[in-house]
Amino acid sequence: MKRYLAVLLGVLTAIGGFVDIGDLVTNAQVGARFGTSLVWVVLVGVVGICVFAEMSGRIAAVSHRATFDLVRERLGPRMGFLNLVGSMLVTLLTFIAEIGGVALALQLVTSVHHLLVVPFVAVAVGIVLWRARFSSIENVLGLMGLALIAFAVALWQLGPDWGELAAGLSPAEKPGAESWATYAFFGVALFGAAMTPYEVFFFSSGGVEERWTEKDIGVMRANVFIGFPLGGVLSVAIAACAATVFLPTGIAVETLGQVGLPVAVGLGKIGLAVVVLGFFAATFGAACETGLSTGYSLAQYFGFPWGKYVRPREAAGFHIILLAATVVAAGVLLTGVDPIMVTEISVLFSAIALPLTYFPILVVANDPDYLGEHVNGPVANALGVVYLVVITVAALAAIPLMIVTSMGQG
Amino acid sequence: MASLAEREGYDVGLHLLDRQVVGADDRLVGKVDDVELVLDDDGALVPTALLVGLPALLPRFGRRLGGGLARAHRLVREAAADQELPLVVDFDLVEDVSSEVRLSEPAPGLLHRMAHERAADPRRCRVGDLLGLPVRCAALPRRSKVLDLRMTGAPGRPGEHRVVAFLVGPGRPGALFGYDRSSEPGPAAVAAVIHWLHRHARVVELGDGVVIDHEAGEVRIVAGTSLSPLRG
Repeated sequence: MKRYLAVLLGVLTAIGGFVDIGDLVTNAQVGARFGTSLVWVVLVGVVGICVFAEMSGRIAAVSHRATFDLVRERLGPRMGFLNLVGSMLVTLLTFIAEIGGVALALQLVTSVHHLLVVPFVAVAVGIVLWRARFSSIENVLGLMGLALIAFAVALWQLGPDWGELAAGLSPAEKPGAESWATYAFFGVALFGAAMTPYEVFFFSSGGVEERWTEKDIGVMRANVFIGFPLGGVLSVAIAACAATVFLPTGIAVETLGQVGLPVAVGLGKIGLAVVVLGFFAATFGAACETGLSTGYSLAQYFGFPWGKYVRPREAAGFHIILLAATVVAAGVLLTGVDPIMVTEISVLFSAIALPLTYFPILVVANDPDYLGEHVNGPVANALGVVYLVVITVAALAAIPLMIVTSMGQG
Repeated sequence: MASLAEREGYDVGLHLLDRQVVGADDRLVGKVDDVELVLDDDGALVPTALLVGLPALLPRFGRRLGGGLARAHRLVREAAADQELPLVVDFDLVEDVSSEVRLSEPAPGLLHRMAHERAADPRRCRVGDLLGLPVRCAALPRRSKVLDLRMTGAPGRPGEHRVVAFLVGPGRPGALFGYDRSSEPGPAAVAAVIHWLHRHARVVELGDGVVIDHEAGEVRIVAGTSLSPLRG
């Protein structure tokens, strides 16, 4: 019984934890501009994150090595350092965006300008990272994040023409006003939002911290293969809501309030309240995950003690990094930069940083020295190779597309 | 998980460098940033210590970048007399090497700074200095380098450890990703690409035919020395 409860809790938190500010903003923007014609990218991204999260979780369970250990062991100090710098920048950008997202969610409730809220959010995130237990962070915020299911309910209440939504799934249904370059640009951004590297840093480091063993592989797989796809369904619901409400009127999504507006239209005040709670939980949870990921990657590259299970005085370097990252994030936000713009940039640069993180995972997942009998099977390998090609193409295309479309304006 | 104790030998770059070092009390000590080797009286290269810390890591970033970073690191600790010296873990303390390097003693107080005389000893060198050294050999492509060092022995077991062979060939140390060692290499497509990229790589046993010239910064392989392919 206890085991089933553990699986259920894991799945529920995986659903709530899957969606972050990047998914919220990008899916709503894409839904408003392209309808459902980019939903297939979300599906491709969700399958991709499942494939690589399962590999990194399996490696963490069998060999107790987290992702950045593998990056350094397989890429060596130089390429590993390049990846470290890139991933740190992307994760820090995402961290900034998440803290900004929390502040924007609180602004929706209190009408206090988000710049005034940012310092308090940063202090709260700092205290949670320092004091709170790992499992409490994951469970409380993950479960609260389930409030985002309001998007799926709202979509049903909005009563869209389902046939039309389904017909729009084909890429050929791209609205005529948009060019193929912008279509591709938002495709890469959606892909980056679904496959952000911090998700595997956090997932595998969490597995090492919770001392997973070979017995936990089943529970881990249930979390990944049920939780992440259901999280992906939430992403699609966000896009479909935006497509229903905004696409016919040609309104572009530029604020977090607009992301939640379809829910207010469909479900009224209560729905809006629930969805704002969901925004808060999803962004706060992701802020903790990205904050911890900055500490995890640095500590795992240099080999000093890390983790929430080690007492702070024994992992002093790790906690100093967390504190420094929080201060930097708050400082950047206080310059008045738009958190939504930071989000757009962070998902795009995620796409660029993907190959250097996922390649070592694929190589080690095939190494019997690490995994013994648990090495990749033919399906995982086939998918792994296909996705390696896909993420390399996305990474190479990201910058040219950004320039050609002026960040999707064109 | 097969630990190194269960196999006959290992490759320093693949199996030892950059692995996590863990004390007997499960505390994380650091990474294997480099490995110190000593040339003993019989002319054999024997590992003596794991080196930990930025002074061991930074030189491995390559001549230009590594040199620049090492200079910057010296500036940070300009007043310290030991600023260029790495921390040392004696090789005898290594109990097991699996996906981590486990030591036989607890972490607190374990690391000590390398002595100046030891750092200046001409018979000692580092694996990081040997990896990437140009190889001069008539039978190999001109851009060949030392790709890895093959050792005998298993950590924590009686018997001697020494370098018995070099992996040489064009390319970058570490870029074989272990595909030369494992019997059932990963995704066939990745394995095929890596095997093709390293089709000229060879194993050469250390002996009279192999001369390591530290002053010229190269390894010379005398004509007629036998080179064996990576696997099989």
